[in-house]
Amino acid sequence: MKTLLLCEKPSAARRIAMALDDEGHPLEKKLGIVPYYESRRNGKILIIVPAIGHLYTVTPKIRNRDVYPVFDFEWVPRHEAERGAKEIKKWIDAISKLSADAEDFILATDYDIEGATLGYMILKYACGGKEDRAKRMKFSTLTTSELRSSYDKLLDSIEFPMIEAGICRHMLDAIYGINLSRALTVAAKKWSGRYSTISTGRVQGPTLKFLVDREKEINCFVPLPFWRINAKVEIAGHLFTIEFEKKVIKSQKEAAEIAEACEGKKGKIANIEVREFRQKPPVPFDLGTLQREAYSLFKYTPRRTADIAERLYLEALISYPRTSSQKLPKSINYRSILESLIRDSRYKELAGILLNEKDLVPNEGRKDDPAHPAIYPTGNLPERKLSVSEMRLWDLIVRRFMATFGEPAVKQSVKVSIDVNGYIFYLKGRRVLKEGWITFYRPFIRVEDIILPPIKEGQIVEIKDLSIEMDFTKPPARYNPSSLLKRMEDEGIGTKATRAEIIDTLYTRGYISGDRAVVSELGLDVIDILDKYCPEVISVEFTRELEESMEKIQDGNEKLENVLERAVNKLTPVLLRLKKSEKQIGEELSLAIRESRMNQRIIGDCPACGTGKLIILRSRKTGKRFLGCTSFFKHSCNVSFPLPQKGKVTAAGKVCSECGFPMIRLKLKGKRPLVICVNPNCPGKERKDSR
Amino acid sequence: MTCKICGKRSKSEFCERHSEAYKSLLRMYDEWKKAMDISWRDYLKEIKENPYTGKWAKEVAEYLLTSEMKDSSR
Repeated sequence: MKTLLLCEKPSAARRIAMALDDEGHPLEKKLGIVPYYESRRNGKILIIVPAIGHLYTVTPKIRNRDVYPVFDFEWVPRHEAERGAKEIKKWIDAISKLSADAEDFILATDYDIEGATLGYMILKYACGGKEDRAKRMKFSTLTTSELRSSYDKLLDSIEFPMIEAGICRHMLDAIYGINLSRALTVAAKKWSGRYSTISTGRVQGPTLKFLVDREKEINCFVPLPFWRINAKVEIAGHLFTIEFEKKVIKSQKEAAEIAEACEGKKGKIANIEVREFRQKPPVPFDLGTLQREAYSLFKYTPRRTADIAERLYLEALISYPRTSSQKLPKSINYRSILESLIRDSRYKELAGILLNEKDLVPNEGRKDDPAHPAIYPTGNLPERKLSVSEMRLWDLIVRRFMATFGEPAVKQSVKVSIDVNGYIFYLKGRRVLKEGWITFYRPFIRVEDIILPPIKEGQIVEIKDLSIEMDFTKPPARYNPSSLLKRMEDEGIGTKATRAEIIDTLYTRGYISGDRAVVSELGLDVIDILDKYCPEVISVEFTRELEESMEKIQDGNEKLENVLERAVNKLTPVLLRLKKSEKQIGEELSLAIRESRMNQRIIGDCPACGTGKLIILRSRKTGKRFLGCTSFFKHSCNVSFPLPQKGKVTAAGKVCSECGFPMIRLKLKGKRPLVICVNPNCPGKERKDSR
Repeated sequence: MTCKICGKRSKSEFCERHSEAYKSLLRMYDEWKKAMDISWRDYLKEIKENPYTGKWAKEVAEYLLTSEMKDSSR
């Protein structure tokens, strides 16, 4: 009697097979290109077979990309709908074959919407309708002990409400994404005769709108002048910077009057305010907070962090990372995790401190997730040498876990008011009195003390270096991948599993570029057009409403059919409106695409004429690409530079520090991007060559 | 009609983007006057050179300065 265990990925299958085999040595087999394992557990034969993520996808029945609206969708094997997914057929065939001999079925994919949905589709289509019979393994880590216990306590069925919500999400994304993207792409194609994919979607549209709104604010920004009074105070032979009571003085005249009144005057200590406060430990990581922390500490994009965390999970080093929870239930056994971590010399002392505590109580956050706890280290130590980024992230997760059990830090702040001829300046000091949790979270937290010398009220002090500084208000900061992710979370759009991917898509579509997401002309125009013709599809409220409906499906309080029907009813008039204005939209989009393509080809200012721009061109004779000046077409500059013929060339956005020529970024497949000066005679290159 | 700055289709002298930037310039001039003694022309010059000025606002300031110069030379 054989039991088929269906996993999400090959590495998870291997770990599950090893954990469940009585001897810990399952048989490794292959069916074509598909690896699978045979484990023996309590006399039973377990066939453990992985998928490679989703094997089935939603696609419109009408495949012609020029047709919209389309509302008739179906689930099909991915290789039938996507180019470059040929190998999927081999996986489906292998799973079908293995399932033919099986009597029992267990779903052991990730316990979340995506894991449940992809497993359901395989059980239904590849295994021939086994979804109702399948049992479910629920686990949050891939540790041997948890996998065995999860196998011993199998859930009676797979999670149907969660699957229904998952199907609904896929259907809605397809209905919105495919129809709206087709409408825009077809409009542009009809007008220009050229095909370029212009995509938008249920979450992508509102996310791009956040960026566009901010971009417009920045582009229209007019700075305002203001003034500051800077000064220092000398106490016990040391100089300290002091702040004027008003941080911002809006009038030049007022600033001059204050400076004049204080110039050359002594100060008198008017008041000393000492405050002690407790700072609670940080809360455990959910995926969003981990992504933000990793961005702020290591500049990893949310997508990169999610990918690294996934690898650490598959190595059984951390718990399941796609979680919204900031809670650590007692059942994970804090002590045994710390007792395992103590084996690593870096954590020996810190884990030891915690283990000496009588009670271990984490400082939990408010967010919860019914499927998984917050991200925590399993206590396992790496079995292989981790890469730098993997090690950094694992270390961050371990230290954060320990820090949540720490005591509050006690800090002291001192605010000294200094009266200078009737005007008040502040001298501020701060120090940590008791480190508490900070000890566990170093080096990921920096604490800088400013310790003041003994001061008494009424003491007369010397004021030095008094000056007026003119400054300007600054435009709002651009979003970066981390702050954009936070905004999406706050607005309740997308899911923890999809947000990073949506941000990535905005980059690949050319709507935004750079670390400080600068919106391109195309991105601005796509939102302007959607705003003009169908503002509802970029409205946060509408997307949020759909997210709430999907949550209701998951809770069993809403039906899939009703949500889909409402969505189609809302989308139909929008698409008709887009169709009606196809010509106008096509013209506007085509101009934006042309401009965007042109901008992508511009590398920088021409160093020869100073008025033209260096642009990527192709020789009519040889077909080779090179850099030429735009002024060539006005017959005023004929400068040109050779370019590498392989790889993707884009502007690096900076000039060479050696010769001042613009620099290019060259990306060859599978290699790190190179930043190169376009000047073949650059002194920097010559030096390098002579070495 | 096309925008005098970027050539995009527009209902008035400027396209929507540059109109917004122009409105912002006008609104902020009142604040600048409260902050310091400054003429419209000097204000435009300051705005044009300021590193914090937005791209579209800078383009409008530059356009206004150039068109003012053209007007005064006539």
